[in-house]
Amino acid sequence: VTMAATLIPPDLNSSSSTDSSSTSNRSISRSLRVAEKAKKGIKAEDPIVAALKYFSKVQKGTPCRGNDEFENNLVTVERVAYSKGLSPEAISVMLEFAMSLRMGTVPCVRVLKCLLPSTVVPHQAVVRAVVWLCVGKLSIATQVLFIKWVLTVFDMIDAKDNLRAIYGFLFSFVTEENLVMRLFRVRKLLELHSKLGKQPYLLHLLSLYKVFCPELVTLSFNSRIRAGFGNHNGPWKLALNAIQKRTAVLVPSDLPLALQTQEKAGSRKRKLGHLDLPVLTAVVQSQKQTSLSQMVVPLAQIQSFVQLLENLHLIELPAQMGSLLGSSLALHYLDCVQDESAFLRINFWLGHSLHEEFLFCGHGGASQGSDEAVQFLERLMSTQDFLQEGFSSVEAFLYKFLNVWDGSLLRPQILALLSNVPVVPSTCISRLLSEPLEQLFFTSKVFFKCGLIESLNGMLVKWLTWHSVYALEDGRNSPLSSTRNVSRSGFMLSVGELVRFVGRLATLGLQLEGCHSLLLSFILDFYDTVCDIFQKYGLPLVVMIPRSVFYPALFAFDPISVDRLAKIMNRYKINLTAAKKQEKITGKAFHISLKTYQEFNHYLAFMVNCLWNSRIFQPGDDIELSEELLHESGVPQYWASFSLTNHPAFHCYAIDFHHKCWPERRDVDLKSIQHLQQWGWYLEYLFTQGFDGLRQFIQSNIKTSSRGP
Amino acid sequence: MDPKTSVARSPFSSVVQRRSKSYRQSYRSYVGTMSHLAYTPGFTKRRLTTCRLAPKRCSTAEMNPEQRALLVREWQLSYVTPLYRFQHGHLKTYSRQLAAFLVSERQRGVAAEVGLESTLRVTFTLVAGMAQTEEEADTVFIKIHSKTPLALPDDPQKVLWSGWLTCVGGDPDYLRTLPEDFVCLPLFCSGGTEGLTALVKAWFQRTFDCCFGLLEINSVNLQWLAALWTDCHARTSIKQLKLVWSLPAEPPMEVIYAMHAQDASELWRSVRQPGLREEEDDGSVGLEEVACFFKGLKSHFYRHFRVELPAGRLTQVSTALGSAKHGGRIKISNSSYMITTLTLLTECALLKMPI
Repeated sequence: VTMAATLIPPDLNSSSSTDSSSTSNRSISRSLRVAEKAKKGIKAEDPIVAALKYFSKVQKGTPCRGNDEFENNLVTVERVAYSKGLSPEAISVMLEFAMSLRMGTVPCVRVLKCLLPSTVVPHQAVVRAVVWLCVGKLSIATQVLFIKWVLTVFDMIDAKDNLRAIYGFLFSFVTEENLVMRLFRVRKLLELHSKLGKQPYLLHLLSLYKVFCPELVTLSFNSRIRAGFGNHNGPWKLALNAIQKRTAVLVPSDLPLALQTQEKAGSRKRKLGHLDLPVLTAVVQSQKQTSLSQMVVPLAQIQSFVQLLENLHLIELPAQMGSLLGSSLALHYLDCVQDESAFLRINFWLGHSLHEEFLFCGHGGASQGSDEAVQFLERLMSTQDFLQEGFSSVEAFLYKFLNVWDGSLLRPQILALLSNVPVVPSTCISRLLSEPLEQLFFTSKVFFKCGLIESLNGMLVKWLTWHSVYALEDGRNSPLSSTRNVSRSGFMLSVGELVRFVGRLATLGLQLEGCHSLLLSFILDFYDTVCDIFQKYGLPLVVMIPRSVFYPALFAFDPISVDRLAKIMNRYKINLTAAKKQEKITGKAFHISLKTYQEFNHYLAFMVNCLWNSRIFQPGDDIELSEELLHESGVPQYWASFSLTNHPAFHCYAIDFHHKCWPERRDVDLKSIQHLQQWGWYLEYLFTQGFDGLRQFIQSNIKTSSRGP
Repeated sequence: MDPKTSVARSPFSSVVQRRSKSYRQSYRSYVGTMSHLAYTPGFTKRRLTTCRLAPKRCSTAEMNPEQRALLVREWQLSYVTPLYRFQHGHLKTYSRQLAAFLVSERQRGVAAEVGLESTLRVTFTLVAGMAQTEEEADTVFIKIHSKTPLALPDDPQKVLWSGWLTCVGGDPDYLRTLPEDFVCLPLFCSGGTEGLTALVKAWFQRTFDCCFGLLEINSVNLQWLAALWTDCHARTSIKQLKLVWSLPAEPPMEVIYAMHAQDASELWRSVRQPGLREEEDDGSVGLEEVACFFKGLKSHFYRHFRVELPAGRLTQVSTALGSAKHGGRIKISNSSYMITTLTLLTECALLKMPI
């Protein structure tokens, strides 16, 4: 019904959509302009307004040749169009003028060429233009030009729903051999196709049918014909882009076909296409399905997020699940998919690609580490990040790959994938992770060591985050609280095993690399996570930092490490205190062994003695040196050699502070800082240097009233 | 209304709900209730078989003509991941679709209407009687004929390509873990031009969301084949046992080691250790026996030619029963022991499965 209504050709005397004035007498247009001017002030000065007025009112049959007024006005419009683009109203007026052929075909073509919208194209204008098109007065060339224009600005049409109603008319122009659904249409296309041969535009149309009705047509492309409709839109597109750039207006067009993020493959052809993403295509129905199939929307047809949301319950997965990885839109949907088969399909494809490329690579070994491999793995990582979980096939692949990895091939990517490995049962950690990784760790350079520790830290953080989210979710649903307890203890075992494994790596790594400060920093990152397991992630587990990390950090040459250690120790204290408190409240709570507390107290006492009390190398400490040896070393007051003033990491700060306190003094006497007042100032000075960890540690462990050493 | 209940009542909640994440799965694996996927990667290992049943003879009379088609030629082996929504009831439809696909691919860039007359004819047929257990899907044989417009209906059509998908004696545990939607036919044998093979693979990939990969037969499996075939000599003559080694010499050296069937059989009998097994003789063959057999062969060779075969790689085995090459080419010449060979190859294919 609506189509029939739009078919009626508009009365030539009817007003255009923008101007409601029915006056068509040119003689009084001037007075009108004056009136407009008075009304709109400065705006009326604009020659474009006058020009538009002219085009909306110009009478049928006015000659264009030698008509200066027409020429001037059109030049004005063209100038504005090419510089800023035309407003929606202007588009309406000019399109109406052109398509009604009020002044013949010549200006029509000229106007069409300059119809560059600045923001949007009003859909009413397009519908009206199509009506004019159906009147049949336009020459074929002009019709073609108009439809090309519609195609060019299609994304900028403000509401496309009405347009959809008149697609049929647009399609009827296909036979014009110059342009752009059901079986008979495909037949028509195929017929044309066989008549005209491989015309790119026809192939493009057919490829559309391949997306929408795969059961009707099969087709394969040479990869080169992608540029379907030639470049006839080129000038428009260029001009449009220029205008959009200049005006910096974001045109509210739909997401530009977010489904296919096919990168331009390099000219170099890969022989083994293991890492090529499949193309997103709909499933070919093997049998004619009844009404149900009508309800289904193949994912390949979804073009925008809005469409995705509208059809969320009707979407049909594509023929090849691997193709989802190429589209951000599809990933949104994948996140909602509950079908295990779908994930199994992805996993088969993904696992196959990884295995063929990196494990069974008897022939194509040279292609490893290539751009394709990097791109593929990076896409995989971003997908996993997006879904916030790892694919099980990637996990399975990693367990195999770690055994043959040299530690340098695609290191950043492999380590990043490793950190996405989901929780591994504690009994398997040793076989699957520890054994291969230890070998790599001990035989590699310090940078690999750092990378691995970082990756394992990432793994731990992800496990803990999963746990905390899971615990929350379960608290809400709690269908199987008994199983949860079992699994929770299993999870704790896994976390404990992982932390111990990294502890082992850290210990040996620091020895091998001579307490390399970069490595130490990554290790402290890891313990940053470990010390907060209870408070931050709600897992009742406290694993103390090993001595082999504690002492190198405490005696490090860089103040950052000491500061971070102080922060970690302070967090341990907070966690242990909270655990104690909870134990008191709930009665049972969880068991933290006495040994952990003892160990912590031991560390704490040593640290305070060392930094604050200048009492180091006491009998009973972890570090015990015989009296004679200490005397032999000739270090004066060796017991104070790691106090906050003498510690190698803070020595320069102490000297700097000394200079600031007593600028006139020539010889530096750090002992003078240890007086009560100066000591307080010195601490303040250190805190202003950004040693927050140290500040927290001192403030919570040492009563500020107590005097310095 | 409480937002939570409104979510629960939403008719599409099953779709719209956020999927449970894989950490749930990891939790599940602790509890011991495996999900129906039942794979927790790396935790369960599919191991190489160390013990096989000795080949049993099945009479040729039992063979149906479809099975005989599998014997005709040398096949190139590939492995295939499980086929999604493959239905044995739709073989006719698949024939039409594959034909249309091939035609359209042949004339690059020219579309073809599905179901129209074309110059190619594709037939999918079922090969019955291959499956050893209920879990196994039936073997499917595919043939591509060229159709000449002038040919009479009775004329034998020219076969351009043939191939088959099979699963014989596949690990039942693995097969059982796959959801209903998947059909596992892991072994793909193709014979014909590489181009057509690639096209058929591409069609399968697009239609059943599966992946293909080259299936090589490593030297351990070649040794197994040699031993199993030699074992048959007592019942069916294998004529001779021919082994080909490639040695890493400069220039590369190939050693062809052929021996009388009788000699090989005697050596094999000498290394058989029936006493090792608890039952008297259940006809099973152990990996250590195979190793022993080859040790004997190699030391014999060394005594005569002073060439260390263990330094090289076994690349080919052939007997009258069949031949197998390292690159994954196999020919089965005698139907009697086909099942044994295919069981071994199915196992190789399943070992290649990514999950």
